[in-house]
Amino acid sequence: MVVKRRTAFIVALSAAAVVALILWKPTVLIYGLQAAGLYAAVAIPMGLVLGIVHIVNLAHGEFMMVASYAAYFGCRALGMDPLLAIVPTAIVTAVFGWIMFQLTIRRALKAPELNQLILTFGLAIAFTQSINLIFTSQTYKMPLDYVSASMDIGDLTFGTWSFVFVAVAIIFAYGLQLFLTKTTTGKAALAVGQNPRGAAIVGIDVYRTYGLVFALALALVGAMGALFLTKSAIFPSVGSPFTMKSFCLIAMAGIGNIPGILGASVLLGVAENFLRAFRPTRDWAEIVFFVLIIVVILARSLKGRKS
Amino acid sequence: MNRNVSRIFAAFFGVLAITLPLFAGDYPLQVARNIMLYMALAITWDMLLRSGQISFGIAGLFGLGAYAAILGVIRAGMPAWLSILFAAVFSGVAAFLIGLLILRLRAMYFSIVTLALGEIFRIIVHNLHDFTGGPEGVVIQQGVIFGGNANKLYWLALVGLAVALAASTWFEKSKIHFALTAIRDNEISAKSSGIDIFRWLLLAFVVTSAIQGFLGGIFVQSYGFATPDTVFSADFTLLPLAMALLGGVYSTTGPVFGALLLGLVSEWLKLKIPYGHLVVYGIIIIIVILFMPQGLKQLVRRDAGKTEGRNA
Repeated sequence: MVVKRRTAFIVALSAAAVVALILWKPTVLIYGLQAAGLYAAVAIPMGLVLGIVHIVNLAHGEFMMVASYAAYFGCRALGMDPLLAIVPTAIVTAVFGWIMFQLTIRRALKAPELNQLILTFGLAIAFTQSINLIFTSQTYKMPLDYVSASMDIGDLTFGTWSFVFVAVAIIFAYGLQLFLTKTTTGKAALAVGQNPRGAAIVGIDVYRTYGLVFALALALVGAMGALFLTKSAIFPSVGSPFTMKSFCLIAMAGIGNIPGILGASVLLGVAENFLRAFRPTRDWAEIVFFVLIIVVILARSLKGRKS
Repeated sequence: MNRNVSRIFAAFFGVLAITLPLFAGDYPLQVARNIMLYMALAITWDMLLRSGQISFGIAGLFGLGAYAAILGVIRAGMPAWLSILFAAVFSGVAAFLIGLLILRLRAMYFSIVTLALGEIFRIIVHNLHDFTGGPEGVVIQQGVIFGGNANKLYWLALVGLAVALAASTWFEKSKIHFALTAIRDNEISAKSSGIDIFRWLLLAFVVTSAIQGFLGGIFVQSYGFATPDTVFSADFTLLPLAMALLGGVYSTTGPVFGALLLGLVSEWLKLKIPYGHLVVYGIIIIIVILFMPQGLKQLVRRDAGKTEGRNA
């Protein structure tokens, strides 16, 4: 079953890649991969939370936005480069996430799913609007030289900095995989994700594990928040699209399948940049995600009903 | 006895609502119109919630209705009143077709899909430049309905609210109430009691969406213009949701009082803090979910549990 799904993914991926190359738009492939790296790196922490704590965190992108603001003002106050801020931001965001988890989400874990959904939705609004209140809707951007690095192959020129997101996504995915299968804490987390009651019976502190996993996910989000600064300007609603996109990728890969997120994001990144490459379809690139999320969810529900 | 008191209250507020323009100035009327719009949206959101389905797509259907109305006037030359009805029908039909596909989904999948659909509507309207006017939107050349008469606009908004109230009461008093409550409580036992779950959900989804479209039509006719960012604004999803939650869900009275309270508070906050006053909504949602899942109703009506038990 899992193998079948993987092969389906690989077929779809290679088909998309081949089409892009045939139409002689190598930039589609390059920018598609770069976008995929960014999407996957943001989505993976959300997948971790969804797979183990079983919470759809609708404030996921907003947590990253808050981390970006923290990193920006930290960097500006200390005259630091955002790359140096990655680790401090990760730690601060993890602590912040752990506190938010204890104060809010933990209390709703036993509540119906709707309450959890609405709760994290409320967190998302509270974050966006607090930032809006404090910093207004003005955009902030770090002026950095190295992000405009580019490469020439033949008469093709493209930016290379964004490949860093691809590397980060791969590190996140395989790092987490190692953590979950090789370390004791990781194994405990996996057990809690599979069966909280069973895990409690064998002596695992379920709520402590939830808190830890949430903090770990938020550490990754924080690291991405600092890294995101190098690439993009920040404003209060900058994180919101990432919540939807991350959920879409997780739904495509299947809950609990973290490496699958990589494949799904390549598919989406390439598809989006493919539409963006042609003038008449350029404006429609944004819609790909939303259409795909609906198609994927519907297809899954149909398949689920048949079997 | 209790019922008589609440009837007298209802009659009093009804008369007050209808006669408000006779003694209130333009600014209070404008505030009242806004509150009524959000109140009506909150009621429709709650109506669908009574079946256990949580929609994040209010703004999508509201915006769809708004554009149906304004394009009906501009492209098809409809009179304003007809365009508002057309908006309701258009959103209703759209909801019917969408509902056939998505009403088999449950819980978070349904919610996420409604949110995504709202975004899709917005992008489509945004991109069909020639037909919808693109990101700059469209303006009704002949001006606002009723020539912008504040009193008549107020009564028009009141009609929108009355429709939502009537539909909600219908849902509460007829057997729809039992069907939706049974579906919310336990689908399997509902099904084994002979309830056609899909049909009732479709009914609830189409009725609430049609009303949302109707309200969109009223909104756009009273302001005379529409842009994708104004009519598909996330506010139209967020504010009604917070209002219904604050007042208490699964009833008509909850969203009404929630909207009244939050509407007045946010109007006051808007004057104090122009940026980010919406933060209050986020905090209210969080507090309500954590500490009083039944909303204000829980505080006001101590016997709420008893009555609920009897109804269910």
